[in-house]
Amino acid sequence: MTVITGYLGAGKTTLINRLLAEPHGLRLLVMVNDFGAINVDESLLDSRDEDTIALSNGCVCCTMGADLFMAIGDVLDRRPRPDHLIVEASGISEPARIANVALAEPDLSYAGIVTVVDGQSFAQLHGDARVGPQVRTQVDQADLVWVSKEPDDTQLAAIAKVASAPVVSDGSPTALVHLVADKPPKAAPHAPHATYTSWACNGVFAGDIHDLKQALAARPPGLFRVKGTVLDANGKMWIVQAVGQQIAVTAAGDGAQAGLVGIGLAAHLDKASVEAWWSTALRV
Amino acid sequence: MSEITVFQARKIITMDRTRPHATHVAVRDGHILAVGDAACADAWGTPRHDTRLADAIVMPGLVEGHAHMMAGAIWDYAYMGYHDRIDPRGALWKGLDTLDAVVARLQEIEATLPEGAPLIGWGFDPIFLPGERLGALHLDRVSTTRPIAILFSNFHLMCVNSAALDMAGYDGGTNVEGVVKAGDGAPTGELQEMAAMFPIMRRLGIDFRALSQRESAIRSYAEVARRAGVTTVTDLFSQLEDEDLATMLSVTDEADFPLRIVPALAAMGDPVALAERALALKARSTDKLRLGAVKLMTDGSIQGWTARVKWPGYVGGQPNGLWNMAPEQIAETCAALHAAGVQMHIHVNGDEASEVVIDALEAAMRQASWPDHRHVLQHGQMMGADQFQRCAKLGIAVNLFANHLWYFGDQHVALTIGQDRAERMDAVRSALDAGLSVGIHSDAPVTPMGPLFTAWCAINRVTMSGRTLGHAQKITLPEALHAITLGAARTLKMDGEIGSITVGKRADFAVLAQDPTKAAPEALRDITVLGTVVGGRVHLL
Repeated sequence: MTVITGYLGAGKTTLINRLLAEPHGLRLLVMVNDFGAINVDESLLDSRDEDTIALSNGCVCCTMGADLFMAIGDVLDRRPRPDHLIVEASGISEPARIANVALAEPDLSYAGIVTVVDGQSFAQLHGDARVGPQVRTQVDQADLVWVSKEPDDTQLAAIAKVASAPVVSDGSPTALVHLVADKPPKAAPHAPHATYTSWACNGVFAGDIHDLKQALAARPPGLFRVKGTVLDANGKMWIVQAVGQQIAVTAAGDGAQAGLVGIGLAAHLDKASVEAWWSTALRV
Repeated sequence: MSEITVFQARKIITMDRTRPHATHVAVRDGHILAVGDAACADAWGTPRHDTRLADAIVMPGLVEGHAHMMAGAIWDYAYMGYHDRIDPRGALWKGLDTLDAVVARLQEIEATLPEGAPLIGWGFDPIFLPGERLGALHLDRVSTTRPIAILFSNFHLMCVNSAALDMAGYDGGTNVEGVVKAGDGAPTGELQEMAAMFPIMRRLGIDFRALSQRESAIRSYAEVARRAGVTTVTDLFSQLEDEDLATMLSVTDEADFPLRIVPALAAMGDPVALAERALALKARSTDKLRLGAVKLMTDGSIQGWTARVKWPGYVGGQPNGLWNMAPEQIAETCAALHAAGVQMHIHVNGDEASEVVIDALEAAMRQASWPDHRHVLQHGQMMGADQFQRCAKLGIAVNLFANHLWYFGDQHVALTIGQDRAERMDAVRSALDAGLSVGIHSDAPVTPMGPLFTAWCAINRVTMSGRTLGHAQKITLPEALHAITLGAARTLKMDGEIGSITVGKRADFAVLAQDPTKAAPEALRDITVLGTVVGGRVHLL
């Protein structure tokens, strides 16, 4: 589950409209606040009623109603379950309060908070006495900051001051899906050249679980997600899920196979820096 | 010609200055035909005389302007609160003042449950039990195999036993915000906020929507109201989905259903679409289900430090609270709903939130004229005379949270906004002096529904510790009785049909054992409610 947040007018709906329509090969379920603003190409439309739009590419968009958590419960009861759930948080929400449910609920896995920021108004908003603190919190809690509208240097500097996550001002929505979604996308015939960098290793680690957590925390900032199974120096197997600032390491069940994969945006990550990081991590 | 019934009472308090008192009221077709003595209806035909109320005091049915449907069905769960409370069936649940008492009550209930059923409690509030914190260790003394979950009174926290922790997969390895852990790293059983509570709620079937919408919930709500003498009640923040609406319509349409319900649609999404939906709902209103209003949530709560307050903020230095809607979104929604002619009930606890809303409504009124919109600021706990004056000029009504004075007044002095502002909280005197339409409320189930108790709070302004909070904001007994009848009716735009015993209005009465106009101000809360009359039908307890 991914939470997309951002202040009013930041560009969340534009991003969501594109995520629904892009040829990423995933069955996304997107829960939105303002259902009326969802606008997909008629040719993609399968059906539409008062609170659900079904697309011919398998994606579904629905309203969350007044109770977000109830709606998440309803999604978990759906059969078949979608590949990936995207929740659009309201313009003033504290995204971690929502995304936290993906860490708590065993049937969900955390895929990060994406905060959309208006590249032309952030500096003003973040100084606003009334909404500034909540706008700053949204950026502070982000695992990825997605800048919409052409930013200038002043704006980028203001964003960078608050954000601890990578700031992306030139990303494509397809790359975003590949970054956050748990399931590898099916080969899309029309996929443009990859805008993301992926990395894989055998998952054999020289230290213990504490060393492993430290290594994951110290990974290159552009390496957005790392997941897989690690065999540590004590012969124990661990399941690793690292997304942005969230790192979870839990004991693996029997029969697990070691292997670790990572992914980040090409513009923010080169493979060599990942290899360098991992080989340093192995020297504990 | 329909039948005329003349009810005889020991005394009828009409709340109508033309004839303040009477002994008889005549009813035809569910409406008040005449008020006076035994012969009051003789000009209209030959009445049937009804003496069931002959020993009682009758006053207009009480109006609760801010409560939630969940106040009824929440009693499906075991009450674990600190204060004595009466359930919808009329049974008294004694308050629990120690953790041992909590465990003992749970053990008693646990023994009666079928195998496999979870044990769910509600209403627990650690603020009243200083010292050791409730944890899984206590609940495990009740059962280690049956899942147990105790919802706290604010519904933002819960405590569960180890069987429930296991169901959610919470253990020493869990690293989730809101899953509270002890020094040894094991979860204590306390879970904070919805995200951490979600896996438990989902697995134990705790469903707030069902607690607010299913048929038994509606009937339970009516029972709660009847015991409080309430004949018209709100349900402020309702999702009103089609299927829920169908249930509500069919239950409230029953001739014997003893309550008028005024749900307010939860504001979300595009304001123009919201306005359309509200107007479509309004067209489906019936005698006992009044649709068409919308509820906006703007800030949080003062005791949770999430209300948006003006300088100097919270006494403990906590950061200013949280917006549920951004100020510009509030402005946009107010403008669209006002222009469409949709009445709004707007939650504002802190004085910055009320200021933002008054600004938004003022701007909306410059765009579209609607002199008698009667939008209502709900709670308005920190509003001062300045804001009430603006409301008066703008035609805004207020519904103030008088029950807070008793339940949370001491906490407000010590922990939230400090003595100066606590003394002018829920400033009913100032609001009346500004000439506003004023209601006072319970926010049930947050505090128990009982307008006579709410009136007592506004008259005496006494806290749980016995302190008087703001002598200058006290109101008189007649003013308080007005606030829980006509005042609240005005905030719902129903004062033309309820709120006083006046010819032409609906025959909705509260039936009491003692005369509230003769009660000492400090004794008003002890008056016994015997039942209600709704649309001329008698519903005694």
